[in-house]
Amino acid sequence: MGQSIQRRQPVKQTIFSTTLNNGIVLLGEELPGLESVAIAFHTPAGAVHDGPGRCGLATLSGEMMLRGAGDRSSRQIVDSLEGAGVQWAQSVSMSHASFAGAMVARQLPIALPIYADILRRPLLPDDQWEPARQMVLQNLAGTEDDPAHRAMSALRQLHYPSPWGMPSEGITAEVEGIGLEDVRAFVSANVRPRGTIIAIAGRIHWDAFVQSMEHLFGDWNAGATQPVVTGQRGPHVRHVQHDSQQTHIALAWPAPPYRSDESYEATAALAVLGGGSSSRLFSEVRERRGLCYSVSAGYHTLRDCAAAVCYSGTSAARAQETLDVMLTEIRRLPGTLEQAELDRVKARAKSALVMQQESSAARAGGIARQWYHLGKVRSLAEELARYDRLSVASIEAWLANHPPQELSVVSLGREPLEVPHEISA
Amino acid sequence: MKFLRERLDNGLEVIAEITDGALSTSIGFFVKAGARDETDSLWGASHFLEHMVFKGTADISADEINRRFDWMGASANAFTSEEDTVYHAAVLPEQQLEATALLARMMRPALRESDFATEKLVILEEIRMYDDQPPFGADDRCRASFFGRHPLARSVLGTVESIEALTADAMRDYHRQRYAPGNIVLAATGAVDFAALVDSARTWCGAWEPQATQPRQTMPVAWAPRADSTLEHITRASATLEYAVRMTAGPAGHDEDRFAAKLLAAVLGDDSGSRLYWALVDSGEAEQASCHHHDYLDAGMFATQLSCDAGDVVELLERIEEVYRQATAEGISPAELEQARNKLAGRVVLVGERPRHRLFSVGLEWARAGTYRSVAEDLQIVENLGMDDVRRVLDCWPLHGSGSTVLAGPYPAEASPESLDESQ
Repeated sequence: MGQSIQRRQPVKQTIFSTTLNNGIVLLGEELPGLESVAIAFHTPAGAVHDGPGRCGLATLSGEMMLRGAGDRSSRQIVDSLEGAGVQWAQSVSMSHASFAGAMVARQLPIALPIYADILRRPLLPDDQWEPARQMVLQNLAGTEDDPAHRAMSALRQLHYPSPWGMPSEGITAEVEGIGLEDVRAFVSANVRPRGTIIAIAGRIHWDAFVQSMEHLFGDWNAGATQPVVTGQRGPHVRHVQHDSQQTHIALAWPAPPYRSDESYEATAALAVLGGGSSSRLFSEVRERRGLCYSVSAGYHTLRDCAAAVCYSGTSAARAQETLDVMLTEIRRLPGTLEQAELDRVKARAKSALVMQQESSAARAGGIARQWYHLGKVRSLAEELARYDRLSVASIEAWLANHPPQELSVVSLGREPLEVPHEISA
Repeated sequence: MKFLRERLDNGLEVIAEITDGALSTSIGFFVKAGARDETDSLWGASHFLEHMVFKGTADISADEINRRFDWMGASANAFTSEEDTVYHAAVLPEQQLEATALLARMMRPALRESDFATEKLVILEEIRMYDDQPPFGADDRCRASFFGRHPLARSVLGTVESIEALTADAMRDYHRQRYAPGNIVLAATGAVDFAALVDSARTWCGAWEPQATQPRQTMPVAWAPRADSTLEHITRASATLEYAVRMTAGPAGHDEDRFAAKLLAAVLGDDSGSRLYWALVDSGEAEQASCHHHDYLDAGMFATQLSCDAGDVVELLERIEEVYRQATAEGISPAELEQARNKLAGRVVLVGERPRHRLFSVGLEWARAGTYRSVAEDLQIVENLGMDDVRRVLDCWPLHGSGSTVLAGPYPAEASPESLDESQ
């Protein structure tokens, strides 16, 4: 071709952070050229605090917090947000209950007081309890019909020590035993300023934002940090009976958490294994053998532990072969990494990092996640530099010290699969 | 934001929406080929062909394609719908040439017999995967029932039988017809070097033989939206919930009322904050109750989806019918209009900020209608929608009454829900 297109200047990045007196962390990133702003409130009322026999309590609490707050009813909250064109979302992870919104920047002053009411003044009213409970139960029934979701959920329960692997959406039998008084106690104990992260990205005015946060949250003082007692992990192999044409296979083994510097080596090794369409699993399982439609490997992290995760879904008759090929590729990983594979992984990671800068919602989520794991926000330049330092040698060194072993294996389908004893020992 | 276009001598169209300051470039080949262009013996061919395009050309192997996309750091994929097959890649601007060249060369695939046999297995797995998932085939069955003899009745994936029977020769013929340059639009959004884009198109696509493109199969004269109601049931004893899909007629892709139809669907059945949401989802009676408007070249429809306990499905479908009946009788309120307008405007802005999302709005609109609308023009359309527009849609396209409904789940088939079964 003989043509080339000029490489652009490095992306200019402006990140802000400050901590209010009550412990709330405020993070911001200015994204030039965007009309939108996205905000996410993460409060430390995650499912890890559910407590024994009450799996689903955090999810019920998150749902109830939206059902009336301050002087607004459940309906008025949604109507006010949607009337301002806010795309809102509420979710509960192991660590946090999160309330997020993305909108045209001029609507932010309408949205902020509503979110402040949800966090600080949830009404948790009697008349909303039964509908909220039924909604959570309906969602649980829906997940029963999603085989891939069930397989991954079972895998997390095997891999992580209790309670970190429990399903944040709840367990039907346990949700049925939870009462509104449990929700009120949970919200009062866990929704608190210390440990709350509020992140905003897009077309922002940082000083004005900090001022309004001071005004809305500055006098909020409640609750002490809730400890989490980490217990044992489960058995390594499990078959879940499910009447489906396909068998779903989910595998996990230990990986360093995101805050460990080695997480970059681990993430890169997993990307070589199953991260893109030129990855080993995609090439061997799907492209060469046509064994399945979906197969992948990836990295999943909590604050103190993490997992290398592989997944595939394939028809029952070919599931054993699929598992065998996946295991062969996993075992083959240490000692075989090629420079070209690493180059591709780096290119994909860097490109994804830059493209994230085009989305206010992705960045608001990204900077909050980094703060939770690292206690700081890494700049794009730092991240890119860290990817540059990845080498075949550094990844092989990590793999040599941490070869895939102690695998957790879940199969979900009509028939269990044969799992070689040595890989899960 | 700037829009540019160029047409090659062989008919291939090149368009770009260029955004100052964008960090990425999105590139897509939009091929006017989809399930509606298939015949019985080609059922599923468009989607199968989309997979085969990734299996390589005469001089690039499948592995090489995958390696090149990953090496560019591209987020690349493809999808097939009733009317379009789209191949797309989002890259950093410095990869524009490479990405365009690779996608362009892929449009002339080798379609090797051995790859065809292996990929057939992958397609069959994809069919099984969807068959195991909600709504357990109710959507395809409902489409077939609603569209009847219209070409839009065909499902995109095809069936196990149609895929097993498909031959590589038949696919080659289909490719020759549908992938003619006059049937393809090369679109780009974000940080685009348009001169380089046109150069790439000339280099890689300029030699493609122009062909008299086959007109698309359109609505047969005899076809009209169903005036009756049909109800079918797919038994899935192992499903936990019951899934219902209902289709009723709506404005087509050429009808100016399609925008008002989308606004009406947002008021009645958006995933949150809509009438169906407050009536059925907020109360925890349904897992999902939603309504969306879909438009095609020559037809349109409202698709309602419900999932709930099997024992409640008849009652809840009746309540949805009542929500629709009341909307026709009383219209919507000015507050609902305002809320829906703001909601749609917010979506237009957020989608507009990401070149990789904007690519689909721009490319599909050009492939279907040969028209372009900027984000500002899209916002203006939303802003201009009024009560009279919504009223007109409610009068012409009532969502209650006639239509096709399909249930899938544990609901006992013998207990036919007669209250819904007006046609039998």
